[in-house]
Amino acid sequence: MARAPGNIAARNAREEQETVAGKAYDVELARRLWRFIRPHRKVFFLSALLLPVHQVFNLVQPLLLKAGFDAVAAGDGVTLLTTGVLFGVALLAEAVAFFFQYYLSMLVAQRCLADLRVKVFSHVQRLPMSYFDRNPVGRVMTRMTTDVEVLQEMFAAGAMNLVADLVLIVAIVTIMMSLHPGLALVSLAMMPFLLLGINVFRLKARQTYRLIRTRIARVNAYLGEAIPGMAVIQLFNRQERSFEEFDDLNRSHRDAIRRSNVYEASLFSMVEAAGSLSIALLLWYGGGEVLQGIVSIGTFVAFSEYIRRLFVPLRDFSNKYAVIQAAMTAAERIFELLDTPVERPGRSATPDPAPAPAAASPAVGLASGVPGPAVIQPSRGAVEFDDVWFSYRPNDPVLKGVSFRIEPGERVAVIGATGSGKTTTIKLMSRFYDVDGGAVRVGGRDVREWDLDALRRHMGVVLQDVFLFSGDILSNLKLGNPDVSKDRVRAALRNANAEGFVRRLPGGLQAPVRERGNNLSAGQRQLLALVRMFVVDPEILVLDEATSSVDTETEFLVQGAFEKIMANRTCLVIAHRLSTIRNADRIVVFHRGVIREMGSHAELMEKGGVYYRLHQLQFQGEGAAAAAPGTGDAAAVD
Amino acid sequence: MAGIARLTDYLWQYWRRYLLGGLCLVGTTSLLMLVPWWVRGAIDVIERGDPHSELGGYVLWIALAAIGGGLLRGVSRSIIFNAGRNVEYDIRNDLFAHLEKLPLGYYQSQRTGDLMSRAINDINAVRQLLGPGFLNLVNTPLYFVYAAVFMFAMNVQLTVAVAACLTLLALVFRQFRGRIQRASLRVQRQMSRMSAHVQENLSGMHVVKAYVQAEPQTGRFTELNEEYQGRSMDLARCRGMINPLMVALHGLTVLVVLWYGGWLTIRDQTGVADLVAFILYLNVLAWPMAAFGWMISLIERGRAAMERLEEVFEVEPAIADPERPVPLTDRERGIEFDNVSFAYNGDGKREPVLRDISFQVPPGRKLAIVGRTGSGKSTLTHLIPRLHDVTSGAIRLGGVDIRSLPLEELRGAIGYAPQDPFLFSTSIQENLKFGDAEASEQEVRRVLDVADLESEVEVFPDGLDTRVGERGITLSGGQKQRATLARAILADPELLILDDCLSSVDSQTEQRILHGFESVLKDKTCIVISHRMAVISQADEILVLEDGRIVERGNHESLLRAGGVYAQMYRRQQMSDELDEI
Repeated sequence: MARAPGNIAARNAREEQETVAGKAYDVELARRLWRFIRPHRKVFFLSALLLPVHQVFNLVQPLLLKAGFDAVAAGDGVTLLTTGVLFGVALLAEAVAFFFQYYLSMLVAQRCLADLRVKVFSHVQRLPMSYFDRNPVGRVMTRMTTDVEVLQEMFAAGAMNLVADLVLIVAIVTIMMSLHPGLALVSLAMMPFLLLGINVFRLKARQTYRLIRTRIARVNAYLGEAIPGMAVIQLFNRQERSFEEFDDLNRSHRDAIRRSNVYEASLFSMVEAAGSLSIALLLWYGGGEVLQGIVSIGTFVAFSEYIRRLFVPLRDFSNKYAVIQAAMTAAERIFELLDTPVERPGRSATPDPAPAPAAASPAVGLASGVPGPAVIQPSRGAVEFDDVWFSYRPNDPVLKGVSFRIEPGERVAVIGATGSGKTTTIKLMSRFYDVDGGAVRVGGRDVREWDLDALRRHMGVVLQDVFLFSGDILSNLKLGNPDVSKDRVRAALRNANAEGFVRRLPGGLQAPVRERGNNLSAGQRQLLALVRMFVVDPEILVLDEATSSVDTETEFLVQGAFEKIMANRTCLVIAHRLSTIRNADRIVVFHRGVIREMGSHAELMEKGGVYYRLHQLQFQGEGAAAAAPGTGDAAAVD
Repeated sequence: MAGIARLTDYLWQYWRRYLLGGLCLVGTTSLLMLVPWWVRGAIDVIERGDPHSELGGYVLWIALAAIGGGLLRGVSRSIIFNAGRNVEYDIRNDLFAHLEKLPLGYYQSQRTGDLMSRAINDINAVRQLLGPGFLNLVNTPLYFVYAAVFMFAMNVQLTVAVAACLTLLALVFRQFRGRIQRASLRVQRQMSRMSAHVQENLSGMHVVKAYVQAEPQTGRFTELNEEYQGRSMDLARCRGMINPLMVALHGLTVLVVLWYGGWLTIRDQTGVADLVAFILYLNVLAWPMAAFGWMISLIERGRAAMERLEEVFEVEPAIADPERPVPLTDRERGIEFDNVSFAYNGDGKREPVLRDISFQVPPGRKLAIVGRTGSGKSTLTHLIPRLHDVTSGAIRLGGVDIRSLPLEELRGAIGYAPQDPFLFSTSIQENLKFGDAEASEQEVRRVLDVADLESEVEVFPDGLDTRVGERGITLSGGQKQRATLARAILADPELLILDDCLSSVDSQTEQRILHGFESVLKDKTCIVISHRMAVISQADEILVLEDGRIVERGNHESLLRAGGVYAQMYRRQQMSDELDEI
């Protein structure tokens, strides 16, 4: 999103080019939409069948009116009475058919849009992380809510009846021709102009509608960021500038809509004028024939009724077209999202291939709720990076040929400067991203060959930014797994030494958690993330600076519990504090995407390389102001 | 009904346009309603067997009315719809400006998705009310009045009979208005619940993936979605009944004209021409009647939406400029907490997060705050730039209560690097310039250097202009933190607050930053929250917080000597370090 005001004009011009280039995939889109209607086709067809029924009863009314007027002219009271009764019956039948037709079509609409929403939602769950890097939350949200809403409007506005409208027009013209060809031709004299006008409108409006939707999506995306970031905007007194940016987006949306308003108004007024003009022509041409007794007043009335019925669908065309156009754009965007490739199955052809021989246990895909088996098979937890290359952006590799191995049950600490690629290793292990070159293997199998869910259940990850879902503490610890008992959660709290902390919260385990865990401090959130690990009880544990924001006091308590959960488990720990990694079996030192050193603490200290220097620095820094160094012994700590 | 009052205020701003559009509307309606009258004249002429020339006159009048009416119709629709769009634009802008004034506490109690739904969907509903809604509100009564007048002029008895049928309209209206109102409110509520769920799900996608939460999340969404579907069908049932009823009602009036009018004609109490004119007038009324249901839902949706918007608008910005602000002078900018207590007043019964906090930081001195998780450290720093206001006590900057200072000056004097780094999806440079929009590239580079980020930015594909993803997602945690630090420094504030803002940065980098920092910090007042002794120990004064209270205070040496909580914390970190040595 170009934010500088100067760029707005250029951006708008570019936008228009894009929208012109956006070809009509309408047939293809309709075909895809049909796939969602298909499961509900019985109701759909029933509704479609009622449409002609409703119209037949409607079209018969002018004929009855004609008969009535003729009876009046003839002074025939009995015929007048009977035609009136018939008229009433037709009216009633029309209303009933109309209601059921509308109701059933809304039923179809609601059902298939509900299906569509769930489909989009579950598809989004499977999109790779790189998709979310590129697409702001607001934009994705527009797809899932507003765009689907627009499709619903298409059903509600009866826009699906556009084809039926065409049949209606043909039927009316046929009836008029059979009544009186001359009058029919006169009445239809305005039609060619109208059709021309509609075509011009269709071409103009098509681009504008697309433009409008692009721009409202921008407004949405901006809000999606500005609302959660409001504190930052306020802290830096940015309100005015942010307002200007928002105003820009808002204004360009309004301007696009203005144009469409003018097109719409022109078409509407043209149709209305044509209606009255047709009446004038009818009088002018028919007047003489009425005089000569060829045409009755009743025929004239019937014609004026048919003309009205003819022009209603034409006048509503602009509305329906707008709705359909918006719906098609919306559908296109939704399908575009649905076409975005998901994470699974990756390179391997089958989504869930036969497990590798060494890990041939059926427990691989085991739900996280079940505690890990007591005996860990030899290569169960093994993790291997084999000459891994990776970049988030082209030509900017973050990992450059990284190779290391974590043996089952081994604890490996990864250290290095920020941006050296440590966090990326975790993301590759959980397959948030796929490697550009080389391979990451877990349990002896390439992660791309794993069933994705099984892979992720296999490891417990505590990320830097702890994210909690709104709900309560308990639901966040159970993470949607109803099989987790409360006792198990309590045990986890005990193990993580977090019992006291949770007890102090108002409501304890039921304490509310707001959006993103907003009402808890970063430290509290991290503590909860750790408790989660005790609940999940994974075989491979991955910790990314999990304790960095927890104060020393809490961290100290948690350390002991960590020892417990890390025992017999394959662990990868990313931490900056040497105290956190002192117990690691092996230390991997990253520097600018390559591994500089690898070995145990003692080995690396002896080597006197990067790790040694890092260690020295850290110690000097923390010990510089030490006036009274503590004299605790190791036993007191462990 | 405060929402409606606000709406009329907006309407007033565009009264000229609405007036002009309304006048055009009256013009086009008048012309349209004259057409049946002239048709009646023409038929009269035909019935009497008069010469063609007179008929030609009527035909010409009708044709002219058609063209003139068409033109006016186009103009009136453009004007009114565009005025509605203008109001939409204004409301959306005003809502955003209002949101910018609301304090952090408000956002902690609201869901982003819900607020977005109000800013997009609800404002859209209001716009519908002000464009097509307004147009029809003017048009429809006008049609009825005109039709009544002309019909009355032709035949009183028949007019009364038709009017009797139309009173049923009022009945239908009464019956459905409330139902549609309630049903559409329920639909909108459910919609925002769904939006909020989606919003949260998307923001937490990495957790959803890491913990294989796709299924439970989809399950929850399906539940919400089914409820939405049910509510939508309730609404569809109401709306679906209205349209056929109106069509039938209109048909009934035609039937009355045919039967009663026909009987009157046969008895020579009225003419066929009148009857035709009656039918034509009823034809004009057909559309407004058919659109009745649509109109009701349009109005109800618009009103409900306006009420929902009003819920946001009526939230008084709890933290705003004082009535008589005291300008910030050049006096020394020390900071003082005087017996400060604070409780989140969101649900009333919450316990205070901070109790009786008093301390002073003289100008140019450094204060460090330590304490366990949830002890209230971050909340304390939130109070200084007035993200929250104190519940009791006072905070003074340079001796002046911060609540008497203009907000902009107060915040301008503070550089704040928060615990959770929040960046916007724009370029790195733009993000840093949050601190100072006028900063030159040189200055930007200087602060990047201080935050030890310059060399990393250098290798980004577009350097300073590299765009960071939403919330800076493409940067590592440490890079984000350092970027927010650089942003705070660029503002060149007198008071710097660092809320554990280097927790994701490795110690080596932290050391480098702290080293470069000394020149920046030199004569600045500074409040630091950290867990790292290296940072804390250098402070002039250290506060130890526990459960919102200050339990210890002093400098590093005195606290160590005191042998309390701080000394214990320090010793533990020391021990860890010593173990590293072994």
